[in-house]
Amino acid sequence: MNKNHHITTQAELEELIERYFDGDTSVLEEQMLRETLADCPWSSEVIDEARFTMGYFAAHSHEGQRVARKNNRNKFIGIAASIAIVLAAGGYALWHQQQSAGVCIAYVNGQIVQDDDKVMALIVNDLSMMDNAADAMTDQLSSLGAALELDNE
Amino acid sequence: MKRTTIIILACMLTTMAAMAQTGLNINRLFDGRYKKAADATEIIVTGSQAHEIGLTIYHSISVTEKAQAEIIENLVVKDGAKAIDKEVEYRNGQLYYGFYTLPKYKRSNRYIFFLNQNLARKSPKNVVTLIYMEGDASAEKIKKLIRK
Repeated sequence: MNKNHHITTQAELEELIERYFDGDTSVLEEQMLRETLADCPWSSEVIDEARFTMGYFAAHSHEGQRVARKNNRNKFIGIAASIAIVLAAGGYALWHQQQSAGVCIAYVNGQIVQDDDKVMALIVNDLSMMDNAADAMTDQLSSLGAALELDNE
Repeated sequence: MKRTTIIILACMLTTMAAMAQTGLNINRLFDGRYKKAADATEIIVTGSQAHEIGLTIYHSISVTEKAQAEIIENLVVKDGAKAIDKEVEYRNGQLYYGFYTLPKYKRSNRYIFFLNQNLARKSPKNVVTLIYMEGDASAEKIKKLIRK
């Protein structure tokens, strides 16, 4: 077969396969055989065996290869999605665990305080200041009320 | 493909929503900037310690730098505008004291306390304090808490 020859019949293909297994094919003919096996719709015991031997069993056509590529891509996306879901779930679980376990920490003038009692004492101090301010407001309201009462007497 | 993308986005959004606090303006102040500041105190309490006082989150900042007072006040006032209840006192046009009850977030009550002690009549101090509290505790319970 010359360089530009194409296999047009099943018989031609089977003949080429036989020559291939006899070791009588050129490099170009082997290449043509591989391409034909990948593309053609023909099927017979000889052709299927050749496909199997030459690695075209699963993907014996462009359509097959396309489907295989699509399946691979979907598999990859599935794996990526699974990893993303696992990471998201893991992140959430870690965050939730930290929230449940709790944090009790203070930073005072750039120094870290991790002693629970000391941190709670700081909170008491914060709240005490708020209490004083709230008291001042209540006192002010009481004074206003008293002044209004005096004014109305 | 679309379904996978939607699943990934949903997972990410759920995680982000869980991690993000509440979309408050004061959250900008809780970005860690005061942790290493020489003139500030930041307290973060969550979990069992916070639960002891009826809260899930206690987060406060006390700052002695005067320039920070205005920044904190502005953010507090912005969040305070959304409050469902508030007790505020202004002195000389500045917020002296504020206790804001914010709308609930995921069934949790939320409160903001603000105090600018620079404006105190008796022994003023160069300290501005902001407290954010979140939890089951009612406003009454919070007020009782500060009167302990």
